[in-house]
Amino acid sequence: MAILKLDKLTVRFGGLTAVEGVDCAVAEKQIFSIIGPNGAGKTTVFNAITGIYEPTSGAITFEGRALERPLTWRVLAMCALVGMLTGLTAAALSVDVNALWRATIKRNYAGPGESFSSRAAVADGWSYLQGSLALDHLRGDRWAVRTADGRRTLGYAASLDEASQLRDRFNRLIALAVTPDAVREQGSKWVVVDPDSDAELASFDSAEDAQAVMDKYAAIAREPAARRRMALATLVLGIAVGAAGTWTVWHRARRTPEVISRAGIARTFQNIRLFQNMTVLENVLTGMDRHLHGGVIRMALQLPGIRRQEQKARDRAAELLEFVGLAGKATMLAKNLPYGDQRRLEIARALATSPRLVLLDEPAAGMNPAESLELNGLIKRLREQGLTVMLIEHHMKVVMGISDHIAVLEYGVKIGEGTPEQVRANPRVIAAYLGSEEVS
Amino acid sequence: MSNTTAPKRFPMAWFYLALLVAYPLLVYPENALFRLTEISIGMQLTYIFIYAILALGLNVVVGYTGLLHLGIAAFFGIGAYITGILTVPAYPFQVGFIAALVLSTAGAALLGVLLGAPTLRLRGDYLAIVTLGFGEVTRFTLRNLEEITAGTRGLNPVPPPQLPGVLATPLSWLGIQPDWSLDYRLFYYLALGLLVLVVVLLTNLERSRLGRAWVAIREDELAATCMGINAARVKLSAFALGCGLAGMAGCLYATTLTSTAGPDAFDFNRSIIMLCCIILGGLGSLRGTLLGVVLLIGFDNVAAPVLDGLIQGANINPNGNPLLTFSNWKLLIFGVALIVMMRFRPEGLLPSRVVEEELVGYAPQPRGKLLRAR
Repeated sequence: MAILKLDKLTVRFGGLTAVEGVDCAVAEKQIFSIIGPNGAGKTTVFNAITGIYEPTSGAITFEGRALERPLTWRVLAMCALVGMLTGLTAAALSVDVNALWRATIKRNYAGPGESFSSRAAVADGWSYLQGSLALDHLRGDRWAVRTADGRRTLGYAASLDEASQLRDRFNRLIALAVTPDAVREQGSKWVVVDPDSDAELASFDSAEDAQAVMDKYAAIAREPAARRRMALATLVLGIAVGAAGTWTVWHRARRTPEVISRAGIARTFQNIRLFQNMTVLENVLTGMDRHLHGGVIRMALQLPGIRRQEQKARDRAAELLEFVGLAGKATMLAKNLPYGDQRRLEIARALATSPRLVLLDEPAAGMNPAESLELNGLIKRLREQGLTVMLIEHHMKVVMGISDHIAVLEYGVKIGEGTPEQVRANPRVIAAYLGSEEVS
Repeated sequence: MSNTTAPKRFPMAWFYLALLVAYPLLVYPENALFRLTEISIGMQLTYIFIYAILALGLNVVVGYTGLLHLGIAAFFGIGAYITGILTVPAYPFQVGFIAALVLSTAGAALLGVLLGAPTLRLRGDYLAIVTLGFGEVTRFTLRNLEEITAGTRGLNPVPPPQLPGVLATPLSWLGIQPDWSLDYRLFYYLALGLLVLVVVLLTNLERSRLGRAWVAIREDELAATCMGINAARVKLSAFALGCGLAGMAGCLYATTLTSTAGPDAFDFNRSIIMLCCIILGGLGSLRGTLLGVVLLIGFDNVAAPVLDGLIQGANINPNGNPLLTFSNWKLLIFGVALIVMMRFRPEGLLPSRVVEEELVGYAPQPRGKLLRAR
């Protein structure tokens, strides 16, 4: 049964085709090698498998399924939540925070020692958002009728009853101010009459006076609607941007190296990518990251559970280091290790993620014959542990010595496949490596 | 390994801590040399503790995780202003100190996450520009929200914390007056206590899975993600923690100063000075960060005024010649010191244990000991 399957894998960068239509099936507990001349696209295949590159077309299946973050209801809920938050934040930004503060906190709190009712503050905040008129208690039992933001004072009254009557009158006036012909000429005066009750709401000496005051009321009347429109527009826009943005970010991260690694594929790199300034042990422990649990607070307090888990991880890391032959070097900095040891450490770090498939990118590069022989043994032991190994290698001794199956790439295209013997006898492979015979 | 070297280092840490705890009890009233300069060393030490918390927060972001953050002062300011708004008598909330401390920390952390979530995919310089911009935006927002933040004047008075009654007797034994405005030592011990708490928690985190993930991201982000580390989440946690610590420092600052200070106290300069502190001390090193803060802030707040006072007291400069005032040379000396540092010791004065190990060379450890070391 194939553990990893590449189906017509194609990777293009702009106009450049790095890998084209490669089919491969790696069987379980197999040592599968990819060989080919430089620039054949071998590392690109690895990068596509481990999620560093997005394949242009084709499918990669591991243990029968595509390695992608699954779409769950949590993702959708997250999109909705972030959308709502962005929308509310955007809507909040369309409100004049200074004025809102004045209307809620400052209006309701006179100073140290005075009482403060949060319910009144919330009510005032709401009426500010609606743009309705507010009553302010002044010194000496005087009341003022003001716009909700406290910027404009419309009139004063000597008692609360009178003030609320005044407020009702202004509310009618403001409502009427936007209707045409609210002001009528009556004798030598210009008056505003309530069409419902025929009560006279205001009277002016001249048409200009009347016009100026009614314009002011009209402006007040238009304010809440404009504010509502603005808030609604920002809310909708914010929700759309937030939800779409979250969706895009999630969608782009569907097939990241992290997802692939967690699914059980680990790799090493052609140009060694260790955490140079960390110790050998820490490098391996970093590989175990996903097997360690516990929140920030538990880690910060080093609770006993965390300690036990850490101790277990250290034991396991020490085992892994012994397995690859780095016992006793745990405290060295990774960058101070000799080259061969760095390669071995990369393997140990990859093993720390408890993978089922290991991709080794030129593990024998830069090794002397004795070291690469040792590496052969290590790779065989990996298989004995039940792992599947995929290998890119140029050392033919290594490749032919340990591979169960070999695929040959040239210029991004698979030109041959089979057991070492079959590959060795394949004329196209020989042509790719040695050049073809001139036929005249 | 941190564990194997820890026993060797710990006695020194305890020694310094004992010295700091004992100082205000032994040297009080502070002696004539310091009185002459009209500054209280103890009070300045309190500010050094506060800046140390700020620098430790920045160190999490820049030192461990390698994200260049140029706007840490903004989060310091946000912490100070949250505390101000929640505690000043001009506003009705007037929560206690503990609540203000928690809310400032949480508020700054939350804002850090909100800033970080969309921007952490940026790399290097770009992230630096975004954080720098956020710092300036915050400063101008604080200035322009006049109704809430009182504009350039800042909010005051921020009341001191309530002393729990249990402490009254022990304090009187130590000869400390239970009044925050009369005796600086209450703030001193409060700030020192919080600093020690932060150092302990960060030391633990540094040795945990999260600490390793931070450093791994700094060392090689691609390799770290290939090891199954969720880079976005790890970076975000560093951002939240760093900004939260900055907010906590801001809360302490406002409480100690009894005012939020104006928005200009939280400008770009403050961010850069804090960055200089951790670079001078050694990026990613707790001890280095503390040393850097002591040297730079100590130079600024203690050494310079003391030297000024001495020059004045010795009557060397009766005509007020600006060239003979030490403070006027402060920035020059600071700059030269940084240049010299970068030339001869670019990794900082007390580099993190790993860099240090590299300098000293490694000593192989027997396996059993390594595993038992914790």
